[in-house]
Parts: sequence; structure tokens; C-alpha cells
Amino acid sequence: MTHRSGLSRRSVLLAGAGASLTVASPFVQLRSARAQNREIVVASWGGSRTTAMREVMFAPFEKATGIRVRDDGPPEAAKVKAMVESGNVTWDILDTDIPAILAMVNAKLLDPIDYAKIDQAKLAKIPSVLHHPYGLGHLIYSFNIVYNTKTFPNGTQPRTWADVWDGVRFKGARSFPFRGGLSPQLEFAAIADGVSIDKVYPLDIERSWTSMDKLRPLVTKWYANHAEAIQLLSTGEIDICCTIGPRGLVAKKEGAPIDVEFAGGKLAPENWAIVKGSRNSEAIHQFLNFVIDGKVQAELAKRIPYGPSSQDAFAHLSEAEAKQLNTSPENLAKQFWTDIEWWGKVTENGKTHNENQIERYARWMVKRG
Amino acid sequence: MTALAVSGAIAAPAGRAWRARPGLMVVGALIFCAIVYLGPMLSLIGWAFRDPQTGWSLTQLWRVVGDDAYQLAFLTTFRISATTTLVCIVIGYPYAYLMATSSPRLAALLVAAVMIPFWTSVLARSLAWMILLGRKGIINEWLVAAGVIERPVALLFNGIGVQIGMVHVLLPFMVLPIWAVLSRLDASLPRAARSLGASPARAFLHVTLPLSLPGLAAGATLVFMLAIGFYITPALLGGPNDLTIASLIEMEVRDLLDWPFGAMLSLVLLALVAAVFALGAIFAGARRIAGVEER
Repeated sequence: MTHRSGLSRRSVLLAGAGASLTVASPFVQLRSARAQNREIVVASWGGSRTTAMREVMFAPFEKATGIRVRDDGPPEAAKVKAMVESGNVTWDILDTDIPAILAMVNAKLLDPIDYAKIDQAKLAKIPSVLHHPYGLGHLIYSFNIVYNTKTFPNGTQPRTWADVWDGVRFKGARSFPFRGGLSPQLEFAAIADGVSIDKVYPLDIERSWTSMDKLRPLVTKWYANHAEAIQLLSTGEIDICCTIGPRGLVAKKEGAPIDVEFAGGKLAPENWAIVKGSRNSEAIHQFLNFVIDGKVQAELAKRIPYGPSSQDAFAHLSEAEAKQLNTSPENLAKQFWTDIEWWGKVTENGKTHNENQIERYARWMVKRG
Repeated sequence: MTALAVSGAIAAPAGRAWRARPGLMVVGALIFCAIVYLGPMLSLIGWAFRDPQTGWSLTQLWRVVGDDAYQLAFLTTFRISATTTLVCIVIGYPYAYLMATSSPRLAALLVAAVMIPFWTSVLARSLAWMILLGRKGIINEWLVAAGVIERPVALLFNGIGVQIGMVHVLLPFMVLPIWAVLSRLDASLPRAARSLGASPARAFLHVTLPLSLPGLAAGATLVFMLAIGFYITPALLGGPNDLTIASLIEMEVRDLLDWPFGAMLSLVLLALVAAVFALGAIFAGARRIAGVEER
């Protein structure tokens, strides 16, 4: 303490320089670690999902390979676009859905997955519909009929999309999603109009929109995000909702009066995708091989009720656990896969079905009613 | 990175020179403004008018102007904003008048009542309204219990919900400018009118109200301009008929990655807001709307 006044200006400067070096050095290490394939950055959605992934995927992977996994996010397409276009790419792997991937492929923001580097035995356990050139499906969400169990107790709930469209036999406020990069739920409109689930694609667009017109007066709220939908369902503001089934199951687990009807559901993958210009190809594919393993996926499914893409995962899950997952063999048979190719197909106007229908959705919303 | 480099390069000579010419001190602020405001603005204009083939084009502008869905969305946005402004005037003026004319203690309480919600996040307030206004919300439950209504009325996911939510958020922007004018008003003027035989109503209509019009115009312009860009409240509390242009801009930019079109939508909105500002400026003076007091 007594020496304080005796500190020379130079020693203070030196100390300051030392301190700034100490502050900067982890950052310098991170950068070089990333360049040397010793670290990868995974952009995911945060919350309980990332926590669970850290526990069953990232930490064991770090331990097995010595490659650090940093998580960041949320992996929004607009952020990726800003990164790639500014040449300052800080993410390697994205955890995201097909609409976002299609938009990013169109904008040339992704690198393809090198399937030659993927473990073929593990890959064979994953339905081939999930082997997209730019995204490997790993965690399956689904749009299902999610309902309030106080309004519909003891199996009185709507069990088909035709029931949801039937405002006479099934009274109650409906809610459907609008925005959030979501295409309109035209498949359900077609199914409600009598199309069987194995003949949904190629979609009869006009027939589906005519059916959407019939749904419109029954919908109280076109919800903007899925958390909002679950909130509305659990407070009883909404009785029937077309939303992400697994999210309904999370709420059910927490005691909300909510349940999920899997029949007629639309399955869609969350995928691992690779950001364009990422230099960590080896580490990235090592990571992919680690996390598509059935046992690893089973562990994740025990923590968050999204379906594992690997059918091998069900060898590591109990029957009761499997029943609540949308990709269990039993539930899989009642649902259908979103046709990625159909939605991603470029139409006459140079845009994909996905882009066209999202725009048409907005137009339909503004102009009717 | 560029920002740092530029300000660093400027800072060295400016550091020696500012003693001689204090005006140079604003250079840093100007550079900051140029980088933070002007730069993005120019890039927005670039996005909206650039064309990969022909260099510059009006394609995006025609897409906005020629599409009746977007025209409708602009109309909806203006309808919601205009209604909000009117409701804010109807509630805000008497409130500001009360603030300006009551005892200091009551006035302080009234200011606090307006300002405290003002400091809470818009999202939190919108969500709170969802709980209050819902079919099974507190307001409907009370009304039903009190026998006022038989079954819950729709207060949410329609124009009513949007109006309640937006007026709640924007009311301070109406109250404060009116209060500022009224509290500075020379109290002897309405008193003089009274002493000359005018009724209280007449004194108000012919003396107080005209003198407070600049504050009213400032408040109305502020509320209207802010309402036009509102996004969260209509999205959460509104129904399909309350789809505003801000939601569509977000969809283009975030989901469809059509940045040129999103940029053009933003520019058209900006132009419309600028037009409103110009109108307000004619009535109230631009300085007061911008929050700069004139004496």
C-alpha cells in the first residue's frame, strides 16, 4: 500500500499492457483453435435444447475428440446472410429447419454436407428423406393437433384434420401459425378436404387454399410464435391449435392441460447444416458422426421430447418413452413427412413453392376478412 | 473496424486543434452520426434501388405500389395509427390539462402514473394485456360475474385489443408535449377572459385551447409516427385484419431474405412518415416535434 505513490508511470503502463494481453489472449487462442480444427461453433436455439445438447452431445464429443464445441445462436438465416456477405463467418454448424435451409441454399449461404465422410452404418438408420444435400436431419419436430384437455376431456378431442375444420361438431377457438418463416399449413387443408396422407404431394395448391378459406372463420388467433401458441392453449384462450406437437408435450410434462394427437401430423426435421466458407470440414464431419449416433440421440430424446431421426435410438428407449415421441415406429406410421423437394422446387416465376406460398399467405391474410 | 480506424485517424489532429477551435469537438459526434445513421440509410436506399442486371431500377418500387395487398397493409397501418392518435388525444388532453392545473402533489402523482408504465418493456405490457383481455381474462371474468355481460366478449385478437395496447404504450407521448405547453401557459390569460365575462367553457375554447395547439400537434405527430412503425403490439393483440406493414417488412427481411423488397417497403413507409412529419411541422414547428424546445 505504501508503495502505491511510488509507482512510476512506466510500470503502470506496463501493467496495463500486461492486463490487456491477458484479456486478449483467450480470444487469440479461440481464433487459432478454430482455424486448426480444434474448435467448432454450433449455432442452435438456446434454452433447454442447447442445455440438453451440451450435456449429451457437446461435452461427450469434447471429451472423446479434444475438439471444443462452442454454442451460439439463434441460427437465423438473416444472421448467416450478414456473416457470409461480410466475410466474417464465426459459425460452423447450424441447427435449423428446412425452410431456413432452402432460403439459405438459394442465397448461397451453405456448404453441402460431404456424405462420403458420414458413417454409413449410422446413416442407414436415418430415413433417407432426411439426407438432404445441405442438411442432415437429426431431431424431428411435427405439426400436430394440440388441444386443451379441459375443453376436450376423455378422448373427445378432434382426431383428424377434418375434425379441426368442422366447427359444428367440435366447438372451440382454433389457432394456426402465421409468419416465423413458416409456410402455410396447406397439407392439412388438403387432408381436411379429403386427400389421404400418403397422397398429399404434389400439393394441389388451389384446392388447399379453397379449404383454407373454410378454416379461416374458425381461427381466433393466427399466432406469431410457438411459445405464444402453447401459452394460449394452457390458459384456455384457445381450444385447438395446429402447432409443434413436441412443444405441447413439454407443456403437458409441466402440468398444463394440454395433449397431442399425432394422427395426421406433419413431420419435419431440424437439421445439421454447414455454413459456407467454414474451414473446419474435418472437425465438422467428426462432430456430425458423433451426434447422429442412435444412443446419443436417445439420450437427447429423454431430455427434450423431439423425435430422434435415427431409428436405432428406439433400441435405447423404453416403450413408454417411445410412445411420446413423434418418430416412434407406431407414431411414424400415422404421420407424413414434409416434402422438402416439393417445397424447395423452383417454379415458373423463379421462386420456390415455399417462397411463393409464404407470400401468398401474407396476401391472403391481408386481403380476406 | 472501419469505424474505429476512421475515428482514430481523425482524433489525432483534432486533439491538437480543438483548443484553438472548439467547434471541432462536434466532429466526433458528426462522424458517429454519419456511421450510425447515414451509412445504414444509404445502404437501405442502395438495397431498394440496386439491380444486379441494369445497375439501378425502380422494380421494387413498382412491386410495392402495384400490389393491392401491400396497399391494403399500408391502409391498415394508417387506420390503426390514426385511431390510436385520436384516442390518445381524447384521453391525453384532459389528462394533461389536469396535470397542468392541479396542485404540485397531485401533479407529481399524475406524472408518475404516466411515466412508470412508460419505463416497462412494450413486450411485457402487451403480454400483460393478453392476460387481462382474454376470453378467460380478468376483465371478462369480472364483467360476467357482475352480470354486465352474459358471455365473454372478444377484447383480444381484434381491433379493440390493438387499440387498447397501443394507446397504453403511446399515451405518454401525447400527454407530455401537451402538458409542457399547458404548464407554461400564462394563467392570467384565461383569467382575463373570465374577468371580461367569458364562461369557463368559452375561456377554454377561445384562449387555452388555441394556445395549446402546438403541444397537441406535437403530441399527435409523435404518436402517429410511432404508431406507424409499431410491430409487437398489433402482432400479439391483433387479428388478421390488423396486419401492419411492419410485420410484412419483417417477413421479407427475416424469412424470405428478400432484402431489396424489404428495403423498398421500409423506404415507402419512411416517405409516408416523413410526409406526416412535414404536415406536423407546418402546424407545430419541427423543433418541438423533434423535442427541441423553442423559446
